[in-house]
Amino acid sequence: MLETLVQAVINGLLIGGIYALVSIGVTLIFGVVKIVNFAQGEFVMIGMYLSFFLATQFGIDPVLSLVVTMPVLFVMGVAIQHFLIRRVLGQNDMPQIFLTFALSLLLVNLSLLLFTANYRTVHTWYSDEALHFNGLYIPLAKLFAFALAMVLSAALWVFLHATDLGKAMRAAAQNREVAMLMGINPNRVFCVALGVALALAGAAGSLLMPFYPAYPLVGQVFVLMAFVAVVLGTLGNILGALVASLMMGVAESLGIQFIGADSGLIVVFLMLLLTLAVRPSGLAGGRAR
Amino acid sequence: MRNTRDPKSKRKTRREFLIKTAGGALAAGAFGAYPMRGYAADPVNIGGLYPVTGNLAQIGVGCVNAAKLAVEMVNDAGGIKSLGGAKLNLIISDVQSDTTVTRTETDRLISDNKLSAIHGCFASALTLIASEVAERAKVPLLTGSSSDQLNKGRRFTFTPFARASQFAEAQLQMAKLVDEKPKVAVVFENTAFGTSTSNGLRELAPAQGVEIVLFEPYSAGFTDASPLINKVKASGANALFSVSYLNDLILIVRTVKQVGLTIAINGGSGGFVIPDFYKNVGKLAEGLQGVAHWNHDMDDDAQKVNAEYKKRTGEFLFEYAGGLVAQTFMIAEALERTGSTDPQKVRDAIAALDVSSGYAAMCPGGKVKFGPDGKNIYAHPVGVQWQNGDLASVFPQADARAPLIKT
Repeated sequence: MLETLVQAVINGLLIGGIYALVSIGVTLIFGVVKIVNFAQGEFVMIGMYLSFFLATQFGIDPVLSLVVTMPVLFVMGVAIQHFLIRRVLGQNDMPQIFLTFALSLLLVNLSLLLFTANYRTVHTWYSDEALHFNGLYIPLAKLFAFALAMVLSAALWVFLHATDLGKAMRAAAQNREVAMLMGINPNRVFCVALGVALALAGAAGSLLMPFYPAYPLVGQVFVLMAFVAVVLGTLGNILGALVASLMMGVAESLGIQFIGADSGLIVVFLMLLLTLAVRPSGLAGGRAR
Repeated sequence: MRNTRDPKSKRKTRREFLIKTAGGALAAGAFGAYPMRGYAADPVNIGGLYPVTGNLAQIGVGCVNAAKLAVEMVNDAGGIKSLGGAKLNLIISDVQSDTTVTRTETDRLISDNKLSAIHGCFASALTLIASEVAERAKVPLLTGSSSDQLNKGRRFTFTPFARASQFAEAQLQMAKLVDEKPKVAVVFENTAFGTSTSNGLRELAPAQGVEIVLFEPYSAGFTDASPLINKVKASGANALFSVSYLNDLILIVRTVKQVGLTIAINGGSGGFVIPDFYKNVGKLAEGLQGVAHWNHDMDDDAQKVNAEYKKRTGEFLFEYAGGLVAQTFMIAEALERTGSTDPQKVRDAIAALDVSSGYAAMCPGGKVKFGPDGKNIYAHPVGVQWQNGDLASVFPQADARAPLIKT
């Protein structure tokens, strides 16, 4: 019984690490640029296909292909901010919602056209291996993904707190007008925010590839969890999103284990409902950091 | 409904026929179907309804390749002799993996062409609709789709292969080959497909002496199969039946390996018995079991067709595609016997068919004779196992071409 419980928690934490990479991106964009990026899942999908092709064409390990997917997605993020999002900022919310939503539809259908609906998998030496101890097991591919997700989250934390550009981003997040008065160029900051957020989505894609099949709609699976995590962990709060993602992974896993395999998400949404009822601004209590 | 096939005025029908064949030739050209040549006798039109676009396209394209191959084989062997060596003319219609499109396309195929028979459509949901339309238009339709629903209240629908209910029984019997006291964990995705299939398994299990120790629905498209496999492990099962779509099945198979669980997995049919499954899962697929209504190693004829198909496409002839090659020969056999292209007469000839040799009998068991419900009374599924990247028939004893490898 205890063994099953511990195993369920391990499973939950490992998948929670992936949710975290997606949700941190969403919350970063919301915190800094004040828009909800509905297409975030599609950038995970792009990251997966990039890693898939790098692996099948050039034999590059999907986890190592991070060094390609992250810069590529970063540039995409900058371009999307500069050429698309910048044009709808400052207006009411509707054009912003339609823009990212349209982007999501476009990317899904474009990939259906280019890659077809077939499932693509990459098989690495560690794809099916696991560490075994005391009757428990930790799948290697997920362990790598979790570890790198934590490293990237920590790196983002350092970037936001220790560099001028990071501080400028946080300043723009706190108060855009005052930040502009202090000489911060908002579009530049927003470009970096989009770039970093998409790079994280790309990283999630690369880290998923060794153990999850890629297909055009794959992003939607993860983006739903990300949105819940972002609300749970207070909109715009990066640490909150990280903690909430891990909690959700564990809640889902425990739900499947002890309630039923089709009820895993019930626990997650129950958690969301209770949080919204008790602390409407999220677990972190409304502080955007 | 007006019966346009009734030859009231010979000249008029001939003109109609010429116009329609031209249309058919255009349609065939558009889909890259069979090239038209100068025929001595008027060709016999048969329709093929397959999803060439949409989410079922991959299998649909394979079906079309097999359908073309089958027609070529019939024609190269001299066509329909009782019709003066008439060649078969295959007219393919794309049903786009969509039920609404299937209805209109079937309607169009039948009204635009003078058809003697139809085969299609791979997915049961599509075939149910196409068979309704064909029934009303009084054109015989042969199908490998397994839904038992297709045998209810239809006179023009014929199913030469095993029914869904038989698949469940075969799966349970295969579990007994793995262990004398099978303890089966059934995991299934919680929509109509998974629920109905798994309920069938649960109902039949006691009669087969199979104990079901875990009966677990899950939501399709999960992010992580580990918690589910954790439950399977805790249940102490020695066999796992997974009623899943391909992406879930890939995760399940990988997770079973990661956990280090030794358990015989039976993946059922459909997406599990096509070449793509092995491409996705790789070596992990080795030893996995499934059920099919047709397999390419069953007999010499099947192996011959398989070799030719493999030469053209690079992949083995999968279940559904192989089955429809046999169906084409059943249609040819019926045409041969009745000596008429009239769909009503062809229907009667199919209903009276009783073959036990040649490509028309290329089914598990090797015999075809339809009962009043359009079901082949000899039909049964064949148990298969992935061995060395190929799908080998392992069950029942009479159809087995390789021994079952216990995992």
